[in-house]
Amino acid sequence: MKLLALAVLLATAYSPASALWPQPQSLQTGSSTLRLAPGFQITVAGRGVPGDLLAAAGRTKQYLTSDKLGRLVVGRGADDAHTFAAAKTLSRLTLSLEKGASFASITNEAQKAPEERDEAYHLVVPADGSGASITANSTLGLFRGLATFGQLWYEHDNTVYTISAPVTIADKPAYPYRGFMLDTARNYFPVSDIKRTLDAMSWVKINQFHWHVVDSQSFPLEIPGFTDLADKGAYSSSQTYSLADVRDIVSYAGARGIDVMVEIDTPGHTAVIAQAHPDFVACAEATPWASFANEPPAGQLRFVNATVTSYIADLFTAAAKIFPSTLFSTGGDELNTNCYAVDTPTQAALNASGSTLEEALNVFTQKTHQALEAKGKTPVVWEEMVLVHNVTLSKDTPVLVWISSDNVKAVAEAGHKLIHAASDYFYLDCGGGGWVGDFPSGNSWCDPFKTWQRSYSFDPVANLTDAESKLVLGGQHLLWTEQSGPQNLDPVVWPRAASSAELFWTGPGGNISAALPRIHDLAYRFRQRGVNAIALQPEWCALRAGACDIDA
Amino acid sequence: MKLPALLLALAHLHGVLGLWPLPRSLQTGSSALKLASNFDIHVNIAHAPSDLGSAIARTKSFLKNDKLGRLVVGRGTLDSNVVQRAGSLRTLELSLAPGSPVRSITDEARLPIGTRSEEYALHIPADGFTATLTANSTLGLLRGLTTFEQLWYEASGQVYTMETPVSISDSPAYPFRGFMLDTSRNFFPVSDIQRTLDAMSWVKMSQFHWHVTDSQSFPLEVPGFTELASKGAYASSMVYSPQDVQDIVAYAGARGIDVMIEIDTPGHTAIISAAHPEHIACAEASPWTTFANEPPPGQLRLASPATTNFTADLLASVARMFPSSLMSTGGDELNTECYVQDPETQADLKASGRTLEQALDVFTRTTHAAIRAEGKTPAVWEEMVLEHNVTLGNDTVVMVWISSANAAAVAAKNFRIVHGPSDFFYLDCGAGEWVGDDVANSWCDPFKTWQKSYTFDPQANISASQAHLVLGGEQLLWTEQSGPENLDSIVWPRAASSTEVFWSGPGGNSTTALPRLHDLAFRMRQRGVKAIPLQPLWCALREGQCNINS
Repeated sequence: MKLLALAVLLATAYSPASALWPQPQSLQTGSSTLRLAPGFQITVAGRGVPGDLLAAAGRTKQYLTSDKLGRLVVGRGADDAHTFAAAKTLSRLTLSLEKGASFASITNEAQKAPEERDEAYHLVVPADGSGASITANSTLGLFRGLATFGQLWYEHDNTVYTISAPVTIADKPAYPYRGFMLDTARNYFPVSDIKRTLDAMSWVKINQFHWHVVDSQSFPLEIPGFTDLADKGAYSSSQTYSLADVRDIVSYAGARGIDVMVEIDTPGHTAVIAQAHPDFVACAEATPWASFANEPPAGQLRFVNATVTSYIADLFTAAAKIFPSTLFSTGGDELNTNCYAVDTPTQAALNASGSTLEEALNVFTQKTHQALEAKGKTPVVWEEMVLVHNVTLSKDTPVLVWISSDNVKAVAEAGHKLIHAASDYFYLDCGGGGWVGDFPSGNSWCDPFKTWQRSYSFDPVANLTDAESKLVLGGQHLLWTEQSGPQNLDPVVWPRAASSAELFWTGPGGNISAALPRIHDLAYRFRQRGVNAIALQPEWCALRAGACDIDA
Repeated sequence: MKLPALLLALAHLHGVLGLWPLPRSLQTGSSALKLASNFDIHVNIAHAPSDLGSAIARTKSFLKNDKLGRLVVGRGTLDSNVVQRAGSLRTLELSLAPGSPVRSITDEARLPIGTRSEEYALHIPADGFTATLTANSTLGLLRGLTTFEQLWYEASGQVYTMETPVSISDSPAYPFRGFMLDTSRNFFPVSDIQRTLDAMSWVKMSQFHWHVTDSQSFPLEVPGFTELASKGAYASSMVYSPQDVQDIVAYAGARGIDVMIEIDTPGHTAIISAAHPEHIACAEASPWTTFANEPPPGQLRLASPATTNFTADLLASVARMFPSSLMSTGGDELNTECYVQDPETQADLKASGRTLEQALDVFTRTTHAAIRAEGKTPAVWEEMVLEHNVTLGNDTVVMVWISSANAAAVAAKNFRIVHGPSDFFYLDCGAGEWVGDDVANSWCDPFKTWQKSYTFDPQANISASQAHLVLGGEQLLWTEQSGPENLDSIVWPRAASSTEVFWSGPGGNSTTALPRLHDLAFRMRQRGVKAIPLQPLWCALREGQCNINS
């Protein structure tokens, strides 16, 4: 009996028939072929349907015809063709809100605070050709259901079909924050690259774009009232994000169920501000850079200076106005104290005020965070602000853990909500070798490369008590771009970043052998949609689920 | 006296010239010179071959379309005053040295390795008089055109250089400067291969090593053996037809690149069983780890006379598709357990009274004789010399891949060497394990940076008397984790690293090379090849400021 049960389980696990990513919380599938009718329609029940939901339904319909994805089996679905003639056809998918729910745009639902977003949905696709349905409490839930529906279909010989009808799904995310971070300061990415990335994110139900928009290398963001920063600090006038670009990106994201958390990293990582305001930055481009920063160029805000503090508070206020999200990251990583020890104006200001550097940092942090809170934002910080520095933070300040997954426990013990972003699991840049010059033996500081299997095996609540586990908002993959640009954005990010998307939607503990055929399927579908997701294995393996496992 | 000389040398190396590979003799001045709006390239050669004309047309197109701003803060906008007052270059004159044969670039590029003439001399006066490019062959002229193209930048609508006069006398340190692509683990359309050949030609690579088939798929349509592709390609759309091969070979030849095809035998042949199960031992046997280094297992029944003849005929037919004098028969990673457990092989061995090694010797001699009859010199992977006891012709080229430490042993056996060691030149290393149900690391971790391959010494542990055996080397892309999606981004600009080692010679300084490699990567992007950033743009615009000690 036991052997048989195992065999059935394996058959299910390896079945390429349903290749949903992330895997729904509850999924029942049959083994009937169902074809999509040529005149297939998606309709939304009710009045006052928001435009972004209709647009989303339109995109789904488009994918159904343009994906043209052959099933990942030998023959790419040719063996399915004999079932087409007898198969029923599906003519309609109806989206409707649950009783009592009312329409709001996907955008508005997505831009709520993470814990307030309702992403749950039910999807039913009958095998007999009667109408399919998605129901949810919100348009955001309906949108998640559309993403699932779009992954059910394959194409062979001009027939769009599934071989696993009927399908019944009840689904909702394990964690409310499922993100991806992009650094657009080390190297610049045109708006079109960001939009393509947002599309790909939405296909795997990622709901948070963490935009690390500026850093010491360049300041591409045009902020009303502070445009001198981009004028003098962007790599070039063509490498900036205008106010219109920001609005375009934020609305593009919102319509795809994604909230945009911008980060203006302070008080470190700000060398480029010296281009417009040399008086505000200590040790700007000082050498040797290794004494003043973790990477060149050195330069940090003179946060002891009250003028600088007010300037940054005003800058945050202005930036907060152009981003509708409730979240706003103020950074706070890698502060170099030696920079301030040798900075004459900082030392003079400390002497005059009689405060220590840490006390001054506390004042700076409180004032700049208050400016954001006045605009309705919740500040988000990197882990050092809790673990290294002695600053007063509101307990509801979410903390991004990046240095090591080992630090999660300490952040939770400090009572802070947390977002997993650990370099030892989620850094997409690791393993690309050293990039600093004159250092031929240099390796990636966070070597080795983090495979999709590595991040998939992450446990979000490792070593946490039940109470501490409730502080986990979710997590994200991150791309720092010292060695990336538009040339390798897709190949570095996809399909790997989908790994954490499933981890934080479906929950941890997934089986990598069972996940592999599904992530192959996802990568192939991405390519059909114009995203250059890379091959995880030879195609021979992708067409033969399990045949390239270590013990196969 | 010593100090000023050193400073002078440094100043020279810190020049803004973005030439890659660095010419072996280079003198530059500090005068600006712009291209005249009616700039043209003249050929002083009677009956100039058409592929030289095409090369010139490409050069003129790059001069116009590269639109590369100098990699300095401001991207060259500060040069415009100087450029306005600078002289204009109207003509580049190409000529062959008296007595040189007039042959096509293609024909010159396909001459046997070691007999190709790639040297050239390029002079650009600062005053705008005619620039000259001379060589002993059209292939040398092509190499010189490649250099000429890399001299120019664009700002405010002017195409200019800041460093005339330029005087270059150049020739390669090694004749084999290659790149290997595996088109079997994953398939690459012809257009991807052609784009790669373009990029290779820009850095004066001379050899495309095409690992076209392997155990996973057989995309090559071989006349007389078309069943191998029709049953062994991933799909009917994922094959290289004879016409595709002709296109690729011609495209490469016109760009000074010879195509060495590899049909890997007797291992790495599982897919042949799709059409000919009778020729393959342990086809797709499990557990694969017992029978192969990666799935699927399957090797030619090398002890079978029928299989040996089939392979010899197949290799001969492939040989006729490729004009190169080199052809690789592979020979890596032979798994003996596969044959131990194969009843047919054991019966064949028993019938012939041979050991497996003796049968391998017969197989190798027969298949090599078949391609030699077609005028090819065989190339093999290192195991055929270091692990097996087979008779190989003295001129056989041996490709070292397992470790750079094995090159000396190959040289000690007096075989010619192509360096392709995994510890310096494997472009796939460092991306994690790809086998399923495994969270292990890349077998050849870590990632091989351009700096790592740049430090390679082709003559390490090789005696002076054997130095001549080193033909050169290549960077290699095995494609378990690659496809068209990341071809450019994995290969470029890293593969340019070895091409400078083997053109300019070893011992280059990676610190002074970095700005030039940035320049190359930016120029490649302008030409549509997705070379990746090696550093933040901030660093690329500020030479030396992102070094470890700056």
